[in-house]
Amino acid sequence: MMFRRLSVWLAFAGVLLTIATLWGARDKPVAPPPMERPPHNPYLSTVAAAGIIEAANENVRIAPPVSGLVTKVHVKVASHVQKGDPLFQLDDRELRAQLQTQTDSLPSAAARIAEQDIRLRDLQEQLRRLQSVKDRRAVSEDDVQRKWHEAEVAKRALIRSRADLRLAQTQRDEVQANLDRLTVQAPRAGTILQVNIREGEYATVNTNEPLLLLGDIETFQVRADIDEVNAPLVVPGSPAVAYLKGRTEQAISLTFDRIEPYIVPKRSLTGDNSERVDTRVLQIIYQFEKPTFPIYVGQQVDVFIDREANPE
Amino acid sequence: MNFVALKMLFGDRAKYLMLLAGLTFSTMLIVQQGSIFWGLMTWSQSGITNINAPVWVTDPNINQVEEIKPLADTAVNVVRSVPGVEWAVPLYKGVQRARLRDGNYEQIALVGIDSSTLIGRPHTIIEGRIEDLRAPDTVAIDQLAVQRLGGPDRMHLGTTFEVNDHLVKVAAIVQAQKSFQNFPFVYTTYERALGITPQVRRKLSYVLASPVEGVSPEELARRIHEHTGLGAFTEEQFGWKTVQWILKNTGIGVNFGTTVLLGFVVGMAIAGQTFYLFTIENLRQFGALKAIGASTGMLARMILLQSFTVGLIGYGLGIGLATLFGLTTARGGRLPFVETWPLLVGVGVALLMICSLSSAISIRKLAKLEPAVVFRG
Repeated sequence: MMFRRLSVWLAFAGVLLTIATLWGARDKPVAPPPMERPPHNPYLSTVAAAGIIEAANENVRIAPPVSGLVTKVHVKVASHVQKGDPLFQLDDRELRAQLQTQTDSLPSAAARIAEQDIRLRDLQEQLRRLQSVKDRRAVSEDDVQRKWHEAEVAKRALIRSRADLRLAQTQRDEVQANLDRLTVQAPRAGTILQVNIREGEYATVNTNEPLLLLGDIETFQVRADIDEVNAPLVVPGSPAVAYLKGRTEQAISLTFDRIEPYIVPKRSLTGDNSERVDTRVLQIIYQFEKPTFPIYVGQQVDVFIDREANPE
Repeated sequence: MNFVALKMLFGDRAKYLMLLAGLTFSTMLIVQQGSIFWGLMTWSQSGITNINAPVWVTDPNINQVEEIKPLADTAVNVVRSVPGVEWAVPLYKGVQRARLRDGNYEQIALVGIDSSTLIGRPHTIIEGRIEDLRAPDTVAIDQLAVQRLGGPDRMHLGTTFEVNDHLVKVAAIVQAQKSFQNFPFVYTTYERALGITPQVRRKLSYVLASPVEGVSPEELARRIHEHTGLGAFTEEQFGWKTVQWILKNTGIGVNFGTTVLLGFVVGMAIAGQTFYLFTIENLRQFGALKAIGASTGMLARMILLQSFTVGLIGYGLGIGLATLFGLTTARGGRLPFVETWPLLVGVGVALLMICSLSSAISIRKLAKLEPAVVFRG
């Protein structure tokens, strides 16, 4: 009798509709999986840091010894250089002219020595002859004395001429040294990372941008920035791993090199270059071998440092 | 006996329908208002649910998700250093102004997600590829942004507009839960969000973290708070914090509470009164039953059976109508409407209470009933 009522059926329909609707909307959507595995910590406990890859032993910012016009750049970006290889040449015409002058003055100085030498020998010969005359009446004592003085002056003049020659030689060497200085050489073996100077440009001594950036890109190092809050957690010598941004499958294992003893204000590595002085960071340097996949100086990495089970 | 009770109930068509209507509308009102309320609360949490990350790290004094107190950007690594963290990524969140081609302005909620993992990206991509966010100057917009910024004819893949004077290009159209403030969501990468937004000292809005296997999000949130002093909340905790803030600081809770209470009172008044009249009218029949030996307890059971039967039918109709309302008017997220199991159970309990209370009056009447009443005029 009850089930002959329309209202009862409608009520059933209502309940079914509600259940169906709620069942359909029941599931909370699952979070989509990360596009790639997020950098994750392989250790039991860790200190995480933001790192940047540098060439080992820091990069060398090559500057000119003096300001001057660049006449020749011997290297290109990515060229390998050995210690002492010429990097670039500054304008040396003036010094070359000076060198020529100095060099040309040498024969004259040398000739002067010869001249003095001959004169000295002549005077000594005359003196000897005067002294060999036994007869006091033939040669006056005064003549002998004068000749002796003349010979002595000539001796000193010869010494001075020799000194003059040495001075001229030294002056020539100085110009030569200055000239050599205009050819800037590699202070050590490495690879040219940046070239910021072209032939014909004027290189000045005080620039923020290095003319050339030289680094060793066979061995890299990672400079890891750790928030000063976490600085006490770092155990010196702990191993660490780094993940490149965009390649989190392969970890790069790092070996401890040193901790920079001075805590510096954080240089933002996360894309924003505005100054934020409220955060200071401890910097730790790690070395690593060049991995099989390409890696570049200046790349950002996520670093995880092993933290030996700290007593909680 | 039960058969007699039901026969009595369904026999009086007019009264039965009256009773049913009262209970149905009472149920419907409560469910509908409750669902709209919960819908609003869901919208208020959309900033959290759209991102869908287990643990949120931010300032410890934060009140709700839209109130952003940025952290220093080393916080990501500080969180990564906490034991039990599987991953931690940065998130930018903030309201920015989008300028359209025609010069109109629209406020948008800009979300910057980690560029390499894209953690926090929306789960449903309507058009395009979310990976294209890695291309320069690209954003992903949600369906609300499509509507607000000129409709599907003008906003499609490849359309450009300005955010804070930076030209951006639409790379994907995604589905996102609408927010309480009703700002469209615009997704981009964290780094680009930093570039687009004006210079401030700190920009990292949140750090999203996930626990390693074997650690619950609650445990991880507790650890992060302990180790770093930062505020860490699970998705649920943060959602509740937001809801609490809204209930405390807006009149929404009181408004809806009043309506629900009104539904309850009106339902009870109609049901109680009708049921009482119903019992009074059938007093003679009850008297006769009592006269042939039915106890008061038995009569009470009959009354309760009647009221629960009509109550359950009313409940079924009520929730059915409310669901229908939700399905028709709230389609496509135009109206906040979220029906939930706890709400339905609560309304069911409330309805049974209405039925019990209104039958209590009738039972009281029957207890005092003399069988002799049958023989009176």
